[in-house]
Amino acid sequence: MIHAKNVSKRVQVADSELCILKGTSLEIKRGESVAIIGPSGSGKSTLLGLLAGLDEPTDGDIWLAGEHLNALDEDGRAALRARLVGFVFQSFQLLPGLTAQENVMLPLELRGDRSAAEVAKDYLNRVGLGHRLDHYPRQLSGGEQQRVALARAFAPQPDILFADEPTGNLDADTGASVNDLLFSLNAQSSTTLVLVTHEPILAKRCARRITLAAGEIMEDTGEALPA
Amino acid sequence: MSHLRWLMREWRGGELALLLVSLLLAVTIVSGVAGFAERLQRGIVGESHQFLAADLVLKTPRALPAEAFAELPDGVETARVIEFRSMVVAGEAMELASIKAVSERYPLKGELTISDEPFGLPLASREIPPAGTAWLDSRLFPLLGIEIGDALQLGDVSLRAEQALITEPDRGTSFYGMGPRVLINEQDVARSGVVQAGSLVDYRYLFAGASEPLAQVQTALQPQLTVSDRWQSLDDSQPQIARTLERAERFLLLAGSFGVALAGVAVALAARRYSQRHLDTVAVMKALGAGSSQITRLYVGNILLLALVSALLGWALGLGVQTALFAMIRDLVGFTPPAGTLRPLLAGAITALLCVASFALPPVLRLRSVPPLRVLRRDLGNESLSSGVSAGAGIAGLFLLMLWYTGSVELVLAVLVGVAVILGLAGILVLRLFTSLRRWAQGAGGVMKLALSAMVRRRQANAFQVVSLALALMVLLCIIAARSSLMKEWQLQLPTDTPNHFLVNIAPDQVAPVDAWLDQHDIRSAGLYPMVRGRLVTIDGQDVYEIPEIEANRGSVNREINLSWSEQLPEDNKLTSGHWWTDSNDAMAQVSVEEEFAERLGISVGTRLGFRIGGLPLEAEVSSLRSLSWDSMRPNFFLLFEPGVLEAYPSSSITSFYLDANDKVLLNDLLSRFPTITLIEMDAVIRQARTVVDQVSAALELVLVLIIACALLVGIANLQASLDSRLHENAILRTLGASRQLIRTCLLAEFALIGLLAGLLAGVGAEICLYLIQTRLLDMEPSWHPMFWLAAPIGAASLVAVSGWWFCREVIVAPPLQVLRRL
Ligand SMILES: Nc1ncnc2c1ncn2[C@@H]1O[C@H](COP(=O)(O)OP(=O)(O)O)[C@@H](O)[C@H]1O
Ligand SMILES: [Mg+2]
Repeated sequence: MIHAKNVSKRVQVADSELCILKGTSLEIKRGESVAIIGPSGSGKSTLLGLLAGLDEPTDGDIWLAGEHLNALDEDGRAALRARLVGFVFQSFQLLPGLTAQENVMLPLELRGDRSAAEVAKDYLNRVGLGHRLDHYPRQLSGGEQQRVALARAFAPQPDILFADEPTGNLDADTGASVNDLLFSLNAQSSTTLVLVTHEPILAKRCARRITLAAGEIMEDTGEALPA
Repeated sequence: MSHLRWLMREWRGGELALLLVSLLLAVTIVSGVAGFAERLQRGIVGESHQFLAADLVLKTPRALPAEAFAELPDGVETARVIEFRSMVVAGEAMELASIKAVSERYPLKGELTISDEPFGLPLASREIPPAGTAWLDSRLFPLLGIEIGDALQLGDVSLRAEQALITEPDRGTSFYGMGPRVLINEQDVARSGVVQAGSLVDYRYLFAGASEPLAQVQTALQPQLTVSDRWQSLDDSQPQIARTLERAERFLLLAGSFGVALAGVAVALAARRYSQRHLDTVAVMKALGAGSSQITRLYVGNILLLALVSALLGWALGLGVQTALFAMIRDLVGFTPPAGTLRPLLAGAITALLCVASFALPPVLRLRSVPPLRVLRRDLGNESLSSGVSAGAGIAGLFLLMLWYTGSVELVLAVLVGVAVILGLAGILVLRLFTSLRRWAQGAGGVMKLALSAMVRRRQANAFQVVSLALALMVLLCIIAARSSLMKEWQLQLPTDTPNHFLVNIAPDQVAPVDAWLDQHDIRSAGLYPMVRGRLVTIDGQDVYEIPEIEANRGSVNREINLSWSEQLPEDNKLTSGHWWTDSNDAMAQVSVEEEFAERLGISVGTRLGFRIGGLPLEAEVSSLRSLSWDSMRPNFFLLFEPGVLEAYPSSSITSFYLDANDKVLLNDLLSRFPTITLIEMDAVIRQARTVVDQVSAALELVLVLIIACALLVGIANLQASLDSRLHENAILRTLGASRQLIRTCLLAEFALIGLLAGLLAGVGAEICLYLIQTRLLDMEPSWHPMFWLAAPIGAASLVAVSGWWFCREVIVAPPLQVLRRL
């Protein structure tokens, strides 16, 4: 499903070059759930962004669902994301001007889905917010906002879901319930899940864990398993 | 996704409201003011035709054969006027009158006003006097000792005085020497027998119609014309009111274009904030799979939709503005406003498009290049909103807008270059100043240091804010000052007791009794001026009829001129060259000449002029040239002699005075006591001029309100632009332990500083711009405004401080975490 080969990312900072990722390779199969863990600043978000096609690697190749990302321009990657990818972010990233339902409808509408409203309603019901369709993000608590974000991520039934520290901005209890929801939705739809976190408990719920440190893969539990 | 739905959703975000209001204001100003100006212009042109009573007039000293007019092109109307002087007689009384005989359909433009009684209330008339009747100037009734219904004799025909004639549209302004008017029917001319071959008669053939067929009439008649025949069209008779209105219109257009420019700036600011606030939205949408073309379509479509909405709404509002403006000047314009055209709609649509294209689109188009990675790293994509391109596009748009609006490349270039230089320099200066705050910050301690360095960090935004506020203020000051100086000048021209009646032809032995009569009735006159009538016959010894250059100005020498003398230079006269009377032993008499009269005839200081007064020659040398103020409505003279030269010649006196409408009946008494004196009534003309001033100023005020709205919008857009970062930083400062007191002080200080600088710049800039506007555009004396230098900085400082604090009060009042979470 996802294949990265010798991927590295370097950025120019002031007059020196900073190497964030150093020749990383990995392979993630359909339906797998993978946690990327590591200390803050180790390059987790960078790797996630690259795998999701939000950014281009400095070196190396990435394939997403068989498509060679290097060969696509930003619009091509966007089209691919629209078709296959869902996101959950640490800072929720709901659009403040849209209601909960409209936020969930957004990716569906971008695809031209005519039943966007019903599907969105359905998914908001599933995350337990069926009664708050018309509320704006600012009227929702952090946990509720993240649940809307979950509904938005799963509603288009993506093949792959990327989540960057989805509970990073939430307190422990709320975070736990959001996590439960995330995994149960994931189980229902058997989506491939790539989850960045620094919480060991959350990481344990994934079948496979990749540990990053200073831009390098230190450990990959998946490698040890027979394919 | 449908644009309309997207627009509706976006609308809730709030940022679009400011954008829409700014656009709407731009369109409203253009379609309102430009539409008004256009209709006014058309109206004035129509109105001015009244002063000819036609569109085109053929003036000739002889009657043309009727066949000449047998075949007129379709759509051309015609009428005839015959004017001559003749005695009218009633019983014992006799008066030399100026007879005007008119044909059916006269006047082709404008209308006759008459009254049921002498000096009575005016009524419009659609008819001309029926054959056998005459309409007489009010003053003729007491002069002839008759009343309405009585008979009078004109040559062989007896006419019944049926109405008092108040005025005709083509009465003209050459009132000296013109006897009281008698209006009769053309048919009575032949019966009276007073017009014989060789009599001095003016024939005027009036035509009205579209310009095409009128041109055909002109070509068709041309072969039959001689040198003494003349065509008159509108250009020859530009009346005073039209000039005032034209100036007002020029001012309106100037104010309007400034308003549009300000609205443009507001659009730019609002669009900038709009796109700033949509960076995250676009990043999320891109992460969710929206391509950049989709983003472009959505946002550009959105903005274009907004332009469309504001074009339509603004057009409707503009119609409202036009109606309001016309309502304000309703008594002033003698015409019903011509119907509006669709031009303002087009103009508004073009304005909206131009505004959008040059001010709103650049920042919005940059949204397409927001990297989707921003969803993970919020710092990405901010820099994409560089202002270079936006500024370029904005300036180009401003140029086009103002150019199209004023139609003058020079004016627009001058204004833009001037403004750009002033603002550019100002921007650099302000930036320097803010940078130098850094040193202060170094010295300060603790949280104060943080606040100061935040100010330094925002120096670019702050400098921008100062400069754009200064621009708005400057425009406002310019418009206010230009308006009030226009008004002052107009009012000065027409104080309430402006003389509105003239008495001429006062015999020397009548001077004392007339003065006494005026005194007795508490009427203050401008004094009685002696006057001798004579002709100018030679210039530097050469017969005026033999000087080829004078051919075009025959009118100035072809008639008797009023000559007067004075010891002192009259009050509102100004010497423009030469000296007032010098004690010279030279035997030659000295004369002072009005400068325009002198220019027409090629006269300068030192020129010798030869006169013929009552058959006697007089030679004089020009000792000075003067300018006069004709608007003062006091007796004025082209030619003033030194005392002692004219006293020997037979003279009469002239005076002018103010008389209230209610006291006009007194004139009956005056004229029956002094029947030989000629009365000239100017009160209607002056009343009209005063209405012009009153109503035009009301119209200017409305436009001023629109400009103030624009300036306010710029101010609000401006404050809002920096709101987010300010809120954010201050919230952080508070979490770090800054007291509310400190934050409030810092905010107030920063805003006050911004306002102070903006006000200072605006004061200086306005002074410079006003100088240019007054001297170049409005043909006025420049004026200085020391108040600006003080009032503008103080006013702006307090206004900006208070409104800035109001916008930011949340950060002072609310717990910081709430603020931070909301952002
Ligand atoms: N575009 C960039 N410019 C400069 N530094 C960057 C950029 N992207 C990432 N970094 C740096 O690379 C390191 C890794 O970042 P990130 O992938 O966000 O780490 P993590 O998500 O593991 O906390 C951090 O030190 C970050 O500051
Ligand atoms: Mg991260």
